[in-house]
Amino acid sequence: MFAYYLRLGVSNLRRNPALTALMLLTLGVGVAASMATLTVLHVMSGDPIPHKSERLFSVVLDNGPDGERGPSQQQNLVPYRDVRELKDGAFGLRQTGLYGIAPAIDSGRDDLPPFFAAGSAVHRDFFAMFETPFAAGGAWTDEADRDGARVVVIERRVAERVFGSAAAAVGEDLVLGETPFQVTGVLDGWSPLPRFYRLSGQDPFGDSDDVFIPIAAAVDMQMDPSGSINCSAGGALEPGFDGLLRSECSWLNYWIETATVAEADALRDHLRAHVEEQRRSGRFPYQGEVVSARNVMQWLDFLQVVGSDVRLQTWLAFGFLLVCLVNIIGLLLAKFTARSSEIGVRRALGAPRIELFKQYLIEAGVVGFAGGALGLLLTVSALWLMASQSPNLEKVARMDGTMLGATLALSIGAALLAGLLPTWRASQVRPAAQLKSQ
Amino acid sequence: MEIRPILSALLRSRTGAILIAAQVALTLAIVSNALFVVNDRLALSARPSGVDESVVFHIDLSPTRDIDDVAAMQRLDVDTLRAVPGVVDAAWSNQVPMGMSGWGLGLSHKEEDESLVLAAAWASPDSLVNTLGLTLVEGRDFLPSEYHEFDMRRGAMHAESIIVTRRTATQLFPDETSVVGRSVFMRTPAGFLPVSIVGVVERLKSPFAQASDNAWSGYILPIRFLGQGTTYLVRVDRPDAMPAVQRDAEAALLGLRRDRVLANNRTLSQVRDVRYAPQRSVAGMLIAVTIGLLLITGSGVVGMASLWVAQRRKQIGTRRALGATRAAILRYFLTENALITSAGIVLGLILGIVLNNVLVGQIEMPRLPLTYLAGSAAVLWLLGLVAVLGPAWRAAAVPPAVATRAA
Amino acid sequence: MLRMNQLSKVYRTHMIETHALRGIDIHVREGEFVAVTGPSGSGKTTFLNIAGLLEDFSAGEYLLDGVDVRGMNDRQRSQLRNQKLGFIFQSFNLIPDLNLFDNVDVPLRYRGLPAAERRRRIEAALTRVGLASRMKHFPAELSGGQQQRVAIARALAGEPRLLLADEPTGNLDSQMARGVMELLEEINEQGTTIVMVTHDPELAVRAQRNVHIVDGRVTDVVQEVSLRQPLAAIA
Repeated sequence: MFAYYLRLGVSNLRRNPALTALMLLTLGVGVAASMATLTVLHVMSGDPIPHKSERLFSVVLDNGPDGERGPSQQQNLVPYRDVRELKDGAFGLRQTGLYGIAPAIDSGRDDLPPFFAAGSAVHRDFFAMFETPFAAGGAWTDEADRDGARVVVIERRVAERVFGSAAAAVGEDLVLGETPFQVTGVLDGWSPLPRFYRLSGQDPFGDSDDVFIPIAAAVDMQMDPSGSINCSAGGALEPGFDGLLRSECSWLNYWIETATVAEADALRDHLRAHVEEQRRSGRFPYQGEVVSARNVMQWLDFLQVVGSDVRLQTWLAFGFLLVCLVNIIGLLLAKFTARSSEIGVRRALGAPRIELFKQYLIEAGVVGFAGGALGLLLTVSALWLMASQSPNLEKVARMDGTMLGATLALSIGAALLAGLLPTWRASQVRPAAQLKSQ
Repeated sequence: MEIRPILSALLRSRTGAILIAAQVALTLAIVSNALFVVNDRLALSARPSGVDESVVFHIDLSPTRDIDDVAAMQRLDVDTLRAVPGVVDAAWSNQVPMGMSGWGLGLSHKEEDESLVLAAAWASPDSLVNTLGLTLVEGRDFLPSEYHEFDMRRGAMHAESIIVTRRTATQLFPDETSVVGRSVFMRTPAGFLPVSIVGVVERLKSPFAQASDNAWSGYILPIRFLGQGTTYLVRVDRPDAMPAVQRDAEAALLGLRRDRVLANNRTLSQVRDVRYAPQRSVAGMLIAVTIGLLLITGSGVVGMASLWVAQRRKQIGTRRALGATRAAILRYFLTENALITSAGIVLGLILGIVLNNVLVGQIEMPRLPLTYLAGSAAVLWLLGLVAVLGPAWRAAAVPPAVATRAA
Repeated sequence: MLRMNQLSKVYRTHMIETHALRGIDIHVREGEFVAVTGPSGSGKTTFLNIAGLLEDFSAGEYLLDGVDVRGMNDRQRSQLRNQKLGFIFQSFNLIPDLNLFDNVDVPLRYRGLPAAERRRRIEAALTRVGLASRMKHFPAELSGGQQQRVAIARALAGEPRLLLADEPTGNLDSQMARGVMELLEEINEQGTTIVMVTHDPELAVRAQRNVHIVDGRVTDVVQEVSLRQPLAAIA
C-alpha cells in the first residue's frame, strides 16, 4: 500500500500546480533558512577533537589582586613563569605551553619575496596531544624542546610554497626572520574548527597556523607574542622581553592532557599545590578560586566562540520555519478539502479511515520530500551567499553529509507535522455527505 | 456594521481563521524583534568615527628582520609620505580606528587608584589631530617640545600631556564643562604616570569599536613608540585621488628599504566594512527573513481567502440575488479579514514581548521598544488588507445567477 | 442478505431533531432485485447510506448477509463494505485524476489482492461493461453512460454480494439509461443481489419488488411477478 500511496502522492503534486509550487516554495525557503543557520551553528559549536576533548584541559590561574571579580576581569591566559613551572611539574600525560608568533619567512629565493606566517610557539607534546597529522617527518625531540633548538614544523602549504613538496622540506632549513630553522616535520593540512588550541587575538574560524617552533627557541629569540598581553594583574613590568618573561602579564595558553577524564580533580589539586607554592613568594593574592582547568568544550563555551548573533539567527530562522509550517497547514487543508468527494468514494469502496489517514499523510510526506530537495538547493545557495558576504563565515558555512540528511529529514518531518491536522480532517470526512453532491 | 454575523460565521468554521491569525501572530512577533535587531546593528555599523573616512587610509609594513634605526626610519617614512603628491598629512600611529587591535590603558584621578576609566591609548610622534582631521573642541594640539621617545625594551613610557576625547573627558569629569589643564594619572605597566590634559577632540573611535559608547573613549599621547611594526595614517586632499595616492605611497615606502613587506594598504572605509561585516551580515539575513515572512503570510492570506471565496460562491450568489451590492460583498470579506488579522495582531503583540524576553535571556539584546511592535503591527494589518483585496474582488464579481444554478 | 428490523435514524443538531427513518422493516433475500422508491426527503437516501454502512443508525437492528453490524468499528465496517458491497451513484463518482484502470483498482487495493489478481479482475470487469479498450482513458474523456459503466465495473470488480445503486440513471438520457438498466438486470441474473433507490416509477417496475418509503416509514410492499424466477417470498 505504501508504494500505491506514494504513487498517488507524486501524481497529486501535479494536480494543482500553483498551490503545489507555493507549498514547495514555502517549505523550501523555511527549511533552507533554518538549515543554513543551523549548519553554521553546528560547525561553530562542533567538537574539534571529539574523542579526547574531555581529557584536554586549558589551565588558567588568576594572579590578579584580591577583590571582587566581574566578568571582564576573568583571565584566559597564563604568565610565562607559571608555564615554565607547570611544564617542569609535568602533571598528566602530556602538556604544552603555547603562544602566537608572526615570523617573516625568507625563502632566499629571488622569485619569492619574504612573507609573513602565522605560527605558534609550542612544546613538543603539542603534536601528540592534538593529534596533528604529519605528511612527512614528525615532531622535534625532547632535547630540542629543552635546548630551544632552531627546529620547525611547517604546514604543507608552506612546504610546497618554499620547497616544492612536503617530502622535500624535511631536513631543510627555513629562515624565520634571519635565523635558519631545520624542518623536522610537515603537517598535512591541519585545521581544526574552531581553532580551539589558541583563541587569543584572532578569528577562531580563520586560517590555521603555518609554522610551529619550540617555545624555548621563541623565548630565546625574543619573539613578541602576536596575540594579546594582559597585564591587568598588576606587579611591575620591567623593560624588555626579559621583563615580560618575569612579569605577571598573561600571554600564553597552557594545555594538559590527562590519561582519564576522572583525573580532572587530581589536576586541579596539582594546580592548587602549584599556587600554594607560589604564594610563599607573595604571588596569587586573590583569596577566591584561583585555579581553573576547562576541557575543550568548556573552554570554547567560556570564550564564547559561538557568537550570540549566530544563536539569534538560528532562533529567528526556526521561527520563520514555524510560520512556514502554519502556512503549509492552511495550504494542505485547502488541497485536501478540495478532494472531499474522492475521500467519500474511497470510503464507500471500503477504505477505513486509517487507510485514508495513511494515504494523505504520505502525500504530505511527498510534499516534504520535494520541498526538502528544493530546500537543499536553497540551503546550499544561502550558505554560499553567507560565505561570500562575510569572510569569517567562509569556513563554517559548509554542508556535510549529516546536515544534508538532516535537511531532508527536517523537511519531511515538518511536512508530516503540518500534514497531521489536514490529514486528520480529511480522514474524518463523512462519506455519505460527499456522494450525493456533484 | 455587520460584524456580528461575520464573527458568528467565523466561529463556525474556525480552523482556517485560527491558522491565519496564528500566522499573523508569529510573523508579528518575529518581524518586530528582527527589525529591532536590524536597526540596532545598522545603527552600530554607521556610528561616526570622528575621522573623515573618505580621505584617510592606513598603510602597514612588517619588518622581515630586526630594524635598529627605528626612529630614523619612522621620520624618513613620514617625510616620504608627506612628499607624495595629494597627501595632506601623514602620521605614524600605534593603531587604526576600528582596526580591531590596539592599546588600552586606564586613566584615574589619583595615583594607585584601581577604579580606572579604560580607554584606547593612541601614540604618535606626529599630529593625529591634523592627519585624521579631528575636531578640537577645547585646548590645542601638542607642541613639538611635548613629544617623547619610548622603547619598550629599554625604558618606561613617559609623557606630560595628553589630548582626550570628549567621551573620556565626560567619563573622567562628569560634571565639568572644561577639562583642559586638569591632571590625571595613566596606569602604565611600569606604574602610574601623571599627565595633564591639553586638548579635547570631539570624537575618535577606538580600534576596538565597541558596541557601547566606550567606542569613543580614548586619548592621544605625544609619544614616538620605537616598535618594529609600522602603521602610517595618511590623509589625502580629495576622495577621488585616494587610489592613486595609495599606490604612490606604497611604492615610495617600499622603495626606501628592502627589509620589510607590505602588510596592509586600505582606506578607513574598508576598515569599517571589515569591522562591521558580521553586523551587516546579521542585518541582511534578518531583512531577508522579514521579507520572506511577510511574503509567506501574505500568500497565506491570499490562499485562505481564495478558498473561502470558492467555498462560498453559492452563498455569495444568493446574497447578491437577495440584493447585496458588490460593495457589500467586498466589505464582508475585508471586514472578515480585518477581524482575523486583528486577533492575530493582539496575540502577536504578546508573543513578540515573550520572544523578546527569551532573546534577552539567551543573547545580549536590549528590550524591544513598543514602537517596533506598533510599527510591525501596522505593517501586518496593511499586508492583510492588501492580500485579501484580490480574493474579495473576485467574490464581489460573483454573479447573482450562481444562486439559481444547480449544486 | 439484508435485514433491517425496526430501524430508526435521528439526526440531531444542537437545536433540531430530524427523524429520517422511523422504525422500518426491510428484508431483501439473496438474488433479489429490489427498488426502493419514495418522494424527495422521504428517507430513501438515509436508508441506502445505512445499508451501505456509510452511516450509523440510531435504533433497531441491521443484519448484512447474516452479520449484525451494530457495534462494529470503522475498520470492520470498511472491510465489510469492501468485501460484500458495491456502490453505483447517480453522479458516477469516478475519481477524476485516475484513469479507468486505476479507478476500478481502488476497491481491490483496499482488499490487499496481489497485483496479478487485481489486473485480471480489472480487465474482466471493464471487458464486461464493454470498455476494456479504454483502460488508460480518464473519466472526463467518456460520456455519462460510459462513466456509469465504469462505475459499475468498479462495483463488480470486488465481486460484491450486494450492489447498492442510488438513482443510477438519474444523470443519463433515456437511451443510456436503458443500457445501464439492462446491464444491472444482467448482473442480477448472474446472482448479485441489487437494491436500487429511485424516484422513477418506470425504473422501479423493472425490479422484482418495490419498497416504498414515505416520511421515514415503509408504506407498502409491492409484489412484482418475476418472469425469470419463482415467486420471491415476502419477508
